[in-house]
Amino acid sequence: MAESPVLILLGRELRSAVRERSIVVNSILIPVFLYPLLLWGLFTALTVVDGLAERARSRVAVHGVPEAHQELLDSLRALPAIELVESTTVEDAERQLRAGELDLVADLEAAGASSPGLAENFRVRLLYDRALERSRRARARAAGVIERYRERWLSRRVEELAIPRAEVVGFRIDPHSVSTGRQLGTLVLSEVLPLFIVVMVALGCFIPAIDTTAGERERSTWETTLILAASRRDVVVAKYLYVTALGFVAGALNVIAMFVTMAPVVAPIVAQTGEDFAFSLPVLAFPVMVLGTFVLALFFAAAMMILAAFARTFKEGQGMVTPVFWLALVPLLFGQGSESTLTPATAAIPVANVAMMLRDAVRGVYQWPLIAETLAVTLGIVVLCLLVARTMLRFEDFLIGAYDGSFWRFLRERTFGRGAASRRRVGRALT
Amino acid sequence: MITVQVEGLAKTFFDEARGAIHAVDGVSFECRAGTIFGLLGANGAGKTTTLRMLATILRPTAGRARVMGHDVVAEPEVVRRSLGFYSASTALYPRLTARETLEFFARVNRYPRERVGARVDELVERFGIDRFESVRVEKLSSGMKQKVSIARTVVHDPPVLVFDEPTVGLDVINALEMQDVIRALRAEGKTIIFSTHVMSEAEKLCDTIVIIHGGRLLASGSLEEHRRATGKHYLEDIFVQYVREGG
Amino acid sequence: MVDGGGGVLGTLYRYELRMLLRDTRTIAIAVVAPLLLFPVLILLAREAERRREAVIERATYRYALTGTEEDFAYYRVQEALAIETFDPDTAARPPATFLHDRSPNPDSLVRAGAIQVVVEGLAADEYLRVRARELAERPGEDSAALAELAELPEVPVLRLHYRTDSDVSRAAFERLQERLEQVRRQQRDSVYRAYGLAIDLSELGGLEARNVATGERETGALLGVLLTPLLLFLMLSGGSIVAVDAISGEKERGTLETLLTTAARRSEIVAAKQLAVVTVGIVVTVVNLANLFVYIVLDLIELPQELAVSIGPLSLLVLLALYLPLTVLVSSGLLLISGWAKSYKEYQLYFLPLFAVVFLPSLAVLLPGMELGSAIALVPVAGVAVAVREVMLGELDWPFLALAALSTGGAAWGAARLTERALSTERLISGTELDQADLAGGPALFPRRVLRWFGLLWVVLLVSSAWAGESLGLVRQVLFNVVGLFFGGSLLMVRAYRLELRAAFALRPAPAAAWPAVLIGAPAALVIGVGLAEAFQRFVPVPEEVLRSFGQFLGAGELPLWQIVLILAVIPGVFEELAFRGVLMHGLAPRLRPVPLALAVGAIFGIFHVSLWRIVPTAYLGVVLAAVVLLTGSIYPAMLWHALNNLIAIVPVELGWVSEDYDLPMWSYPAASAGLALSFTLLWWTRRAAGKMQHVGTGPGGGRP
Repeated sequence: MAESPVLILLGRELRSAVRERSIVVNSILIPVFLYPLLLWGLFTALTVVDGLAERARSRVAVHGVPEAHQELLDSLRALPAIELVESTTVEDAERQLRAGELDLVADLEAAGASSPGLAENFRVRLLYDRALERSRRARARAAGVIERYRERWLSRRVEELAIPRAEVVGFRIDPHSVSTGRQLGTLVLSEVLPLFIVVMVALGCFIPAIDTTAGERERSTWETTLILAASRRDVVVAKYLYVTALGFVAGALNVIAMFVTMAPVVAPIVAQTGEDFAFSLPVLAFPVMVLGTFVLALFFAAAMMILAAFARTFKEGQGMVTPVFWLALVPLLFGQGSESTLTPATAAIPVANVAMMLRDAVRGVYQWPLIAETLAVTLGIVVLCLLVARTMLRFEDFLIGAYDGSFWRFLRERTFGRGAASRRRVGRALT
Repeated sequence: MITVQVEGLAKTFFDEARGAIHAVDGVSFECRAGTIFGLLGANGAGKTTTLRMLATILRPTAGRARVMGHDVVAEPEVVRRSLGFYSASTALYPRLTARETLEFFARVNRYPRERVGARVDELVERFGIDRFESVRVEKLSSGMKQKVSIARTVVHDPPVLVFDEPTVGLDVINALEMQDVIRALRAEGKTIIFSTHVMSEAEKLCDTIVIIHGGRLLASGSLEEHRRATGKHYLEDIFVQYVREGG
Repeated sequence: MVDGGGGVLGTLYRYELRMLLRDTRTIAIAVVAPLLLFPVLILLAREAERRREAVIERATYRYALTGTEEDFAYYRVQEALAIETFDPDTAARPPATFLHDRSPNPDSLVRAGAIQVVVEGLAADEYLRVRARELAERPGEDSAALAELAELPEVPVLRLHYRTDSDVSRAAFERLQERLEQVRRQQRDSVYRAYGLAIDLSELGGLEARNVATGERETGALLGVLLTPLLLFLMLSGGSIVAVDAISGEKERGTLETLLTTAARRSEIVAAKQLAVVTVGIVVTVVNLANLFVYIVLDLIELPQELAVSIGPLSLLVLLALYLPLTVLVSSGLLLISGWAKSYKEYQLYFLPLFAVVFLPSLAVLLPGMELGSAIALVPVAGVAVAVREVMLGELDWPFLALAALSTGGAAWGAARLTERALSTERLISGTELDQADLAGGPALFPRRVLRWFGLLWVVLLVSSAWAGESLGLVRQVLFNVVGLFFGGSLLMVRAYRLELRAAFALRPAPAAAWPAVLIGAPAALVIGVGLAEAFQRFVPVPEEVLRSFGQFLGAGELPLWQIVLILAVIPGVFEELAFRGVLMHGLAPRLRPVPLALAVGAIFGIFHVSLWRIVPTAYLGVVLAAVVLLTGSIYPAMLWHALNNLIAIVPVELGWVSEDYDLPMWSYPAASAGLALSFTLLWWTRRAAGKMQHVGTGPGGGRP
């Protein structure tokens, strides 16, 4: 039994791909190097920002501190990040603030003694320049100190007036999130992972799809392929499998690389917010994710190849496929948020349905009938594309590349039967 | 009148794996106006590299070359103004029309602006481009493109013309047309430097034939002189003889 | 016969644009499509957001009550829900409906999502017990948290249980919490009033903040930050439309050679193409900005109220003067990669790194404390970005503005010159013939592959540190990284490429004079390294946290001295040298002259130390060590130098001879410089005495002279 021609052709396509720099870079090198590099860059940038922020001292001018509140002044002075500046009057200080010589002006005054027991009431007015980040930071720093002082002062006053503290506080409210680390991690993953897989598979299919159709025309190996002893069908199947394989590999590699690189580092950073994250996936999610990735690869490969096949150069091909790429990502807009899930209506929208299926899988939700609908819709579109491809291959003018990359002209002429025009075009293309 | 002088021209490339490659290794010759000077050699012999050095695309590693009295290294733009370079790999801009192509190259080669229009008209008529002068190059057949290419090579009326394997890939009719054009240009008093590996062409066209092999010039002279020197009649045998002797 | 230079330039430029305008497909896709696409995308995104919010807001929230003080909770919640109807705030949102769910096991229902929030009423002591138990279960520093607990007043607590990972639960929690807080405040106010405090609570120690910045100033600040990155983005993508064809496309089509044989000068060709790139870039930018303006007018994009733009004519002129060199830099960069790329596809490969290199510095304007009057003005792109922000705030610091414009302009000019050189067809021809090495494999191929291997090693280092870093402990980490990764990786490379062991690791005997040079040079170099690190920190300060974590890590206080010496001095000294000054330098040597070689090896060595503040002193050390190996031709002196360096840096601190914050006296720097100079003079002398430069790498065909 002779070796299957499809496998031979597929082997050639894959071997050429591995030697094609842009494919290797996009599908293999970027996942391996980009994420660690991004990670390192992010980390370094964050620490540099931290260091700079720590060093930038705020210049604050304080006015009119009443005798009873010297403690506030001391607290401000004690903070290393604040540098107290002398100034004569409030107007003067305000002028300096506007000129950028000061970051903050704190104007204290004794408030009216309109109630007994509060002779030492005070008011603080902070003047700051909201346009400048250093002024905003100065305000935050000073406000923190002032707030704490105020609380202390207030509670002392309350004690003096013999008001029982318990009555003042009344009751306390304590927020408590019962989300487990896993649930939080799952939330993040369910938002990020499906989107990521869709984009990466589309990108992974992009260049191979154009390269194997328009690229071959450009390199003049299209004709070489056409005269092989293999049938047209085998040629097309081999090319299709090749693009699908690369799209799938790209998607999978990127996900793995991202997970391996980012997960151990992102978790501690995120944990600093006080919540406790744990990134993990339910066991059944993996086969569903693999299935989803594969189906996406089939879809993008088919759609992109059909359009790119009309182009004569790589550049034309890219021009034709890019709009499809963007259009395919649009449905993703509708899938965000923790409440969205696969429904009969959304399961009919290509790309979005697979993304939702993946999101549900990450959350451990499996709606098998809707999953079936999703697969049916997506595979149905793929089959449609393949049928269209088979029809197109019957036309000579398409084979010779006489359309300058215009899918619409092809459609128009086929529908309105302008056979003569296309024959002329073939003639010209052959001389 | 001597229009082109080449003395000890050499070009060495450095390759990581193979070290130094001497593509051209000390070539010297002279060309006169109104003659066709042929460089004959196998692929990789150094013909193209030599011509590229004359056209100032590459810098010589050693030696000197002068075109119309101007040194290729010291005055490259003046040299290029006096030179028309035609090669199978020099393509045309697809989105310009035939006429626009000629106008563009005339202007860029500093042909006097007020005379550009007349000159282009002249060439359009001479090469029979008028049928398709307003058609974009990308839509022309290869024969038409060839005509436009030749026209753009001579549009700025340079005294020296360099043709690097001009008939490669052409069918018989177009190749013969090319040869006619070259002969006509010689009749106008141009200096034509012409490289090929097709023996019959060299036999038919060249006044002086120079044999290049391995970057070195093995022999120089007219066809008759070569016949006398080697005792062979056909250029093929003459060539093989020289190569065997090693020059 | 002579035509003016301007004529040729003008011709090239006009024809370039003419050809571009005839490429209707590219224009349609690159310019028109985004204009149509963006409004659609924005509208869709808004619609999606609106729907999502509606789902959350319109929900009926179910809550449950539990706890020992359930009744207390019940009354408070009723009060809270009563407030809802009065609150004017709810006019902006649809009123929320809260349903009391009385099912048992409310906790599990929260987790399942059937109930959005559970209010648990607890007495004070009960609450303390619960919290203490929870804190005990969590690992980490909780002495602070426990102390806080002790200070709390003895009042009942309402614990609101909800799920962060559910949008609906979070919304329910937030709305209930707001109302409960208000109930609490009202209660407190009534208490104060009962005790005779007649004034509004907010007047006690009232804190008011007033913004002195005008709306225009704030707009200026915002625009100042956003403008440069936005313009850069538009120019890079717009200019690419021309740049991709300008040189690499012409190479592919074969028209570049034709152009190079005409009488046009290289500089004219580059200038014409640059003008074309700039023209198209500007057009695209203007079109997109106008578009943005239209979206704002059509209310597709919402802006905060106070925005008001006012830029004086002088500021406008200064902005133009600043953006001009930036524009030229962008176009030069684009043309440069177009010149290097041999085809359309290759151009796209280079585009992403170029984009990163040009775009990212413009984000420097977001860093805290960035002022134009500092070294940042010397950095291309970043300097302009910071300058623009200051101009938009109305501050015109002329000397530094000029500096920023000049530094960016200088970079632009440099890139343009490089592009001119890239047009030499030497590269066009010889570029394709290098694959002889691919066929032969082995040592000839190694120079081209070495960076990839080390890149891979770096990735493995980063990932393994991230996953297992802390748990391994110092000893195991050093062993894994230095011996396993660095040395093991080097051995792999030697095997894979069949490298000659002695040459690859520079295992040659060292000249006798090298040893005293090492003994003098190592401490001297260390001192200078410390000085360099401090100088660097003055520009880029280290956050406290990072400093502390360095100290903690190296502070291997529990280890005996001999282990510290072995792990931190000997092992790195030997194996890191073998890897970096051995195999790495051997791989890079055929392609680089000695000075760039030492710099490259040093830089790569630095990068392997990951943290920014260790990269600088480590890279410096790497350069010094590379120089030592190059001058002596042997790896052994470098090993000793490295080990000595680490020894002196670490051991005295560990043994307590010197405190961690010890500051070197000022005279140590000149003394060290003298010492280092002496050391290198000795080394140079050994090289002279040996007769020729000892090359570490000698590939076939000989290294470059």
